[in-house]
Amino acid sequence: MKKKLKFPKLLSLIFVASLVLAACASAAQTSGAEGAGTLRVAFQSLVQTDPALISSDAEVLVANAVYDYLVDIDPVSNQPIPRLASAWQVSDDGLSYTFTLAEGVSFHDGSALSAADVVWTFDRLRDPVAEYATASLYENIASIAASGDLEVTFTLNSPNPFFLYDLSDNHALVIKDGTDDASDFNGTGPFVVDNYSAEDRIILSANPDYFIAGQPGLANVEIIFFSDETAMVDALRGGQVDLVMRMSTPLFESLDGVEGIVSVAIPTNGFDLVRLRADREPGSDPRVVQAMKLATDREAILELVQQGYGAIGNDSPIGPLYEAYFDPGVLPLARDVEAARALLAEAGYADGLVLTLHTPNTGGRPDLAAVLKEQWAEAGINVEISVEPEEVYYGENGWLEVDLGITGWGSRPYPQFYLDTMLVSGAVWNEAHFSDAEFDALAATAGTTLDEMERVEAYSQIQALLAERGPVIIAYYFPVFGAISDQFTGFQLEAFPGRTDLHTIRLK
Amino acid sequence: MALSAKIKLSSESAAPTWGQRFFTLLRALLRQPAHAFGTGVFVMFLLLALLGPLLAPFGVNEQIVQDARQAPSASHWFGTDRLGRDVFSRVVLGAADIFALAGVGTLLAVTIGASLGLLSGYRGGWFDELLMRFFDSLLALPALLLALLLLGTLGPSRNSVLLVIVVVYIPIVARVVRSVVLSVKTRAYIEAARVQGESSARILFREIFPAVLPALAVEAALRFSYAIFLASSLGFLGVGVQPPSPDWGLMVFEARGTVSQTPWALYFPAAAISLLVISVNLLADGLKRVFQVNLDH
Repeated sequence: MKKKLKFPKLLSLIFVASLVLAACASAAQTSGAEGAGTLRVAFQSLVQTDPALISSDAEVLVANAVYDYLVDIDPVSNQPIPRLASAWQVSDDGLSYTFTLAEGVSFHDGSALSAADVVWTFDRLRDPVAEYATASLYENIASIAASGDLEVTFTLNSPNPFFLYDLSDNHALVIKDGTDDASDFNGTGPFVVDNYSAEDRIILSANPDYFIAGQPGLANVEIIFFSDETAMVDALRGGQVDLVMRMSTPLFESLDGVEGIVSVAIPTNGFDLVRLRADREPGSDPRVVQAMKLATDREAILELVQQGYGAIGNDSPIGPLYEAYFDPGVLPLARDVEAARALLAEAGYADGLVLTLHTPNTGGRPDLAAVLKEQWAEAGINVEISVEPEEVYYGENGWLEVDLGITGWGSRPYPQFYLDTMLVSGAVWNEAHFSDAEFDALAATAGTTLDEMERVEAYSQIQALLAERGPVIIAYYFPVFGAISDQFTGFQLEAFPGRTDLHTIRLK
Repeated sequence: MALSAKIKLSSESAAPTWGQRFFTLLRALLRQPAHAFGTGVFVMFLLLALLGPLLAPFGVNEQIVQDARQAPSASHWFGTDRLGRDVFSRVVLGAADIFALAGVGTLLAVTIGASLGLLSGYRGGWFDELLMRFFDSLLALPALLLALLLLGTLGPSRNSVLLVIVVVYIPIVARVVRSVVLSVKTRAYIEAARVQGESSARILFREIFPAVLPALAVEAALRFSYAIFLASSLGFLGVGVQPPSPDWGLMVFEARGTVSQTPWALYFPAAAISLLVISVNLLADGLKRVFQVNLDH
């Protein structure tokens, strides 16, 4: 009995001691970078290195350093810009794209890049048998042919105004014709892999034969693998690494004013979406969604969940990042608790509505759920929160089944993706089971027309329609954070941090 | 025979009332500073649990947007968390939560466990054998693992956590009670009672149970402290009580991500867990000493 008594006391001592240690850990000293010409990046470890299979930020970051895309998307203007393709022509019917490849490009093994490599790469990515993630993205391609030694022509089945963006998909890195093992790092990219240790780090050195003059700006890049965000930021403070991307708001705030570190926040079109299933009660009555929208205080949500970073959402996936397509005239409904109550009563829920709000346990989503619970309760919408691990929330497509859920959607370079996969009738990830003929027609127009003005008009109408009767609440678009040692310049953080170019960074 | 007669005599003639017994116990507990501290802190938490709604200046989930992430001050004694909730109010109102969860869980586990232990120890035979082997198989699993297994099947909720506490601690309580019963049931006064033709139920509850009581009281206090730990651990792992409940373990878990900004939102609930567990342990220690002294005399 005596021994049993001591055990919990010991545990509580350890508990208190660990708290004290945790407090001390954040008080490390700051110092500048050491290695001249070497950039040390802290990131998660890699699981996949074959470009067709990569998905995480770290995997894409390495692939983008070792290989090249045919076209890039400019992070500032959000427009397609040349990379391996130095120029391109689109036929008048929008069905044929001809790319001219840059001259003097060679793979790390010394062989020259030719049109055949590009053909082979994209045929591999769209191969329906291999079932890569890109297969459905490139379904619309009828044929890919080398129309010259350095010229490739893609022919489409139907016009796709966003085809250049699709060609810049994260996986679309050009690899050598006939490659057996696509994880061998034999790319044309700005950096060559010197050493890869899966548990520790990957060491890259500049490709001396890189085809873009003056790039890369660094002699070496080391990507050091971390499993914990806090440890990454502590390493940055301590001068053990120079660059950290993707971190939580509190960690970003903690870097504010730290000498020697430049931190940046950039807007993205990523959002946490709250949606109510529209195909059965209670969501089948549009007044219920309307009441939820009226009961939501977006300013308070942005301030509490995002600590004021990011932008207020207007319940449509077309955010302010898509300057031309975003309609600032469409405003979300202002908060009106009484009106929400009245609508609920009209819909037959005068005594209140009880629902379970499912949310994954990552990012700001549990906090969003907690804030919504309080705000909605004032209007008589009572939710029980169920916080679930991501693999449970998304597992066996449970997220597509539940009535009320919160889902995180990452930032994409163009908005059509969200409409086609999330909101048109029968879409693969139509989690709200939304079906609206007018919306479907507008989305089809926006996705196929070659007339830019017509598309802008369609997107504007879509935003108005979703704000009025859409099944989703998008309260904010979240930003992405990065921080780099002030010894470096040329760092341009991307909305998808993995797509950040390392070859434009150089020592001051 | 003479011994049993003497004990019976004392318990029948000069039987003190429950109130008198309680104050004797309390006086004994307060004699040592450590035990007095434990008892005092425990009583303070008990009062917080009972009077929480009167003491908390803010609602448990009241979100004050303009006061979010504020350090402790006169208006928010323990500061506010990332969602603008008053940490002091949440810690105070969370006391009722932990007593309702760990306290009720322990009470149920002790009641059921003690009954099974009494029966198992007194009857023996195949019933005892079967029950004890079953409990052994449960005890072979570490408590937290068993809890996670159960929660995996039941799904995370308040009632699941309550059930987990009960299931995890029944075998332990039953074993302790059974061992005391086994040592008591061969004593002469029990034999005497049996010879006098008293019913089994009467022997169990009037003769054996009082002898089990001291050990049971200590065990209950210990189980309570472990139950606080278990409930808080499950909250911390995010598989127990669901947000936005003011469960202390859950509060620590939720504040972990913002510890660089709002450390107070983590330290105060963590300190509350530590303080309550330590006080309950000291109380258990005190109870044990007091009973030991009484038995020795």
